[in-house]
Amino acid sequence: MTELLQVKGLTKSFGSVHAVKSIDFSIQEGRCVALLGPNGAGKTTTIRMLTGLLAPTSGEVRFHSLARGEDHRSLIGYLPQTPAFHNGMSGMEYVVYSGRLCGLSASDARKRAMELLERVGLASAAKRRVGGYSGGMKQRLGLAQALVHHPKLLVMDEPVSALDPLGRREVLRLLQELKSETTVLFSTHVLHDAEELCDDVVIIRDGEVALQGSLAAIRNEHRRPVIELKLEDAPHAINWAQSFLQKSRTDELRYSWLSEAELQGNRLYMTASHMDVARQGLMEELTEHKVPFSRLEVGYSSLEDLFMKVVSG
Amino acid sequence: MNSASEAQYREQPAKRLRNAAIRRTGSSAFMTLLGKECLELLRSFKLVWVPIVFVVLGIMQPLLSYFMPVLIEKAGNMPEGTVIEMPPPVGSQVLADTLSQFGLMGLLILALAFMGIVSGERNSGASALVLVKPVSHTSYLLSKWVSMMILTWGSLLLGYAAAWYYTWLLIDFVDVGPFMLSYVLFGLWFTFVLTATLLFSTFLRSAAGAAFSSLGVAVLLSMLAGLMPKYMGWSPGALSGLAYQAVTSEVLLPLNSVSWWSIATAVIGIAVLLMGSVVLLKRAPAHD
Ligand SMILES: Nc1ncnc2c1ncn2[C@@H]1O[C@H](COP(=O)(O)OP(=O)(O)OP(=O)(O)O)[C@@H](O)[C@H]1O
Ligand SMILES: [Mg+2]
Repeated sequence: MTELLQVKGLTKSFGSVHAVKSIDFSIQEGRCVALLGPNGAGKTTTIRMLTGLLAPTSGEVRFHSLARGEDHRSLIGYLPQTPAFHNGMSGMEYVVYSGRLCGLSASDARKRAMELLERVGLASAAKRRVGGYSGGMKQRLGLAQALVHHPKLLVMDEPVSALDPLGRREVLRLLQELKSETTVLFSTHVLHDAEELCDDVVIIRDGEVALQGSLAAIRNEHRRPVIELKLEDAPHAINWAQSFLQKSRTDELRYSWLSEAELQGNRLYMTASHMDVARQGLMEELTEHKVPFSRLEVGYSSLEDLFMKVVSG
Repeated sequence: MNSASEAQYREQPAKRLRNAAIRRTGSSAFMTLLGKECLELLRSFKLVWVPIVFVVLGIMQPLLSYFMPVLIEKAGNMPEGTVIEMPPPVGSQVLADTLSQFGLMGLLILALAFMGIVSGERNSGASALVLVKPVSHTSYLLSKWVSMMILTWGSLLLGYAAAWYYTWLLIDFVDVGPFMLSYVLFGLWFTFVLTATLLFSTFLRSAAGAAFSSLGVAVLLSMLAGLMPKYMGWSPGALSGLAYQAVTSEVLLPLNSVSWWSIATAVIGIAVLLMGSVVLLKRAPAHD
């Protein structure tokens, strides 16, 4: 697997706002990478620096197939968060125009435009003016114009966030196809989309990389056993839970199997450090205090839990 | 030959080929961009109504001069027996008046037509989609500038030629030499002001701001050149005055060195304004 590009110490400040603080990551050829982070994390800023639309305050983006300082725009296809076109043109005209700007001949551009509009499901609207397109149609036109020159890297900023569930399915299906054809980088604040499509994730928070790696590796590494205990609505049960929480905070030794515990209503969530010990310890505790519980469930933390933990600090 | 320079030597042809490819796509990208600008001028009907306005302005001046004595006679409540002595209109003077009309109304209309030419696309984000493609910032701006110039020089020519024709029909014949010279001088003045509009449109978010800043510059320069011809005669602001002189003089106006200076500073100014626009655009190709 060869490395397509490397981002080194990428930083952007707008006056006193430090939007991106020295980000490092690399993208392997053929992979699908998600840039994951909550609103305001710096996803758009990072992507705009990657595409060359925004000059970084410091740091660099290096494509390995190019000499240092060489124009890398011909390698990239870009779909912005809210794409805007020349509204007077028709969809077809716009894609042909994009192709011509990328150096395609007039006939190649027409052929490619027809093929792409068909593919993104805009064939029937190809002759209509872009100004009259709906948000979802603009998103798909944006995808078509980004793909017109067979880019080595497809960069998309929140490609599905503005779509309704149906449009979202549609675009996700398209991306599923595309990721086998080219390297893909897209940003999202929805973990689910990343999980569905991606090989790798880069989670950023407040302009810094909080966690990165392949999804499979992250899933394995950060998987924690969790126990969910649902209690009866009896005062005795709640009292026990509270004293248990108290103990779990003070009496480190005895509850060494427990790394975290939280009470929400009548549910007690426990994150264990070691499953077998945890099971044993909890059962002893429950029988000793004759705790009335209605359900006990043992499982593993999801990526969602990890994501929430990482982004909320 | 050591190995490093050998490698460099071998790299040369590949590099040259690649550069040639870039140049080729560069010029075709420019033509594509220019085509799009012209298409937009056509679809927004600017390619239609701006020339029409110029033609109307151009016809109005000779018509007014021709019918002025009649109008005054009809409208004025003159006491019986008053004889109005009006010098008969002179063709070249009518053309000079036409130019001064163009300098006010015509320039205003052109500035309004072009005020959002860059800022509109930058504010919407449409420029971002163009500039992430392998298109140079210079091509992007130059295509806009050329489309502006096509409309400007074209409308001016149509309007001015209409004025010349009606002056010939109604008043008297003006030689083609002075007519063409004044057209070129005035066109240069328009080019200078509208290139300033392009620059302001590149760095101001507001379209109206761009129109009025460049018109402000135009007014200021013309006023300075008019008030202090000694000190500001070499500035582009002197060009419009020079054009009036060119059309009213009997023979083809011999340009003196100060006039040449005003032409030279205008050309240099246009180049500087264009380069300034490119630098500004490179710094921030798109707002969010
Ligand atoms: N042009 C700008 N001037 C000043 N601050 C900016 C500018 N652009 C972005 N920022 C700030 O940088 C930070 C990161 O913004 P960015 O748009 O990259 O976030 P994001 O991760 O894309 O968020 P979202 O999910 O809402 O799109 C924010 O705090 C934002 O206010
Ligand atoms: Mg964003």
